[in-house]
Amino acid sequence: MKKKDFLLLIEDVLEVDEGSLNGTEALEDLEMWDSLAVVTFIALVDEHLEMSISPEKISAAKSVSDLLALTGDKLND
Amino acid sequence: MKAIVRAIEYALPEKVLTNEDLAREFPEWTVEKITEKTGIDRRHVTRDGECASDLGVQAAERLFASGACAPEQIDYLLYCTQSPDHFLPTTACVLQDRLKVPKTAGALDFNLGCSGYVYGLGLAKGLIETGQAQSVLLITAETYSKFIHPGDKSVRTLFGDAAAATLVQAAERGDEAIGPFVYGTDGSGAKNLIVPAGGMRNPRTAETGAVQEDEHGNLRSEDHLYMNGPEIFTFTLLSVPKAVKALLEKSGLDMDQVDLFVFHQANRFMLDRLRKKIKIPEEKFLLAFENFGNTVSSTIPIALKEAETTGQLKPGMKVMLVGFGVGYSWGANLIEW
Repeated sequence: MKKKDFLLLIEDVLEVDEGSLNGTEALEDLEMWDSLAVVTFIALVDEHLEMSISPEKISAAKSVSDLLALTGDKLND
Repeated sequence: MKAIVRAIEYALPEKVLTNEDLAREFPEWTVEKITEKTGIDRRHVTRDGECASDLGVQAAERLFASGACAPEQIDYLLYCTQSPDHFLPTTACVLQDRLKVPKTAGALDFNLGCSGYVYGLGLAKGLIETGQAQSVLLITAETYSKFIHPGDKSVRTLFGDAAAATLVQAAERGDEAIGPFVYGTDGSGAKNLIVPAGGMRNPRTAETGAVQEDEHGNLRSEDHLYMNGPEIFTFTLLSVPKAVKALLEKSGLDMDQVDLFVFHQANRFMLDRLRKKIKIPEEKFLLAFENFGNTVSSTIPIALKEAETTGQLKPGMKVMLVGFGVGYSWGANLIEW
């Protein structure tokens, strides 16, 4: 999957405008990044990338880029 | 002699908690958001002094009133709960007396949550098919609302209280009507769905009762229910599809030979993902949480009863039941309705 398409999905989870995320955003500044968003992120990764990321690693993520990095080589430019 | 599920009845507390009630208390979540994510409109919750066993008695009395059987026919009582009346005696013993089940009956409690119904059917089948019992009354009853801090929206939106009574009886037939079964357990997940204090390991004290706020603004103490949603969701995505596959292999059936799938009714979000992942057609996948919420061990029997009432569940159908959750514990089995 393309990185920009995956970003669109994350924007939907966070209820922010399409194209508004560039990856550098700090998760703690995103109002909608709560436990429900974490679960939704796990579901997105499971559905679109067919992989399982441990919730511990997700809670250690500080930024949107950190989240994208957790997908390893599953995303391409 | 084979065990069959003869009849199911359920009971709910009168008091109702709606999404409007929750949205008033937690303004950061709208009614629409709660409905969309959970699929739940309302949950029934017990009032003070109303116990899981009281709901269990109501469900069992409905079963007797329906004509399915009389209390004097019951020769074994299985009671599944994590909300017993007391540490001791066994609540099932108290229920024997309240329900006027004969004194010659066996009775025991077993402590399981969302997997409890599948395990209960497994125990009932074992008792019947080894000639130890003829008519087993399986009661599942839970009141998680009593464990939940009112300021913890992460669990308050999901769980509802309820009880179900299922009559499992011996029948003259050659092929099995309940089974086969697959089971699973992973106690390393214990910490992710837990009431930490109040048992022998960590008795209640002033310290365990100290309320803390978590990073998402939810309030709870160690005396309350804690659920790590992301961990539970991940466990479910990993274990449930494997259990479904293992049961199909064990029974020698293809997915399309199963007429109906009845999973533990956790919430819409989780069930949608599981259904799509396992590739179960929507019309064969039962959903029954809108008016009850997640009632733990009673979600599967309530869903079966609802589907029987609406006609979605018909005699002769092959149904797959899958329970999963707290423990971690999971199990799946087939029944012929």
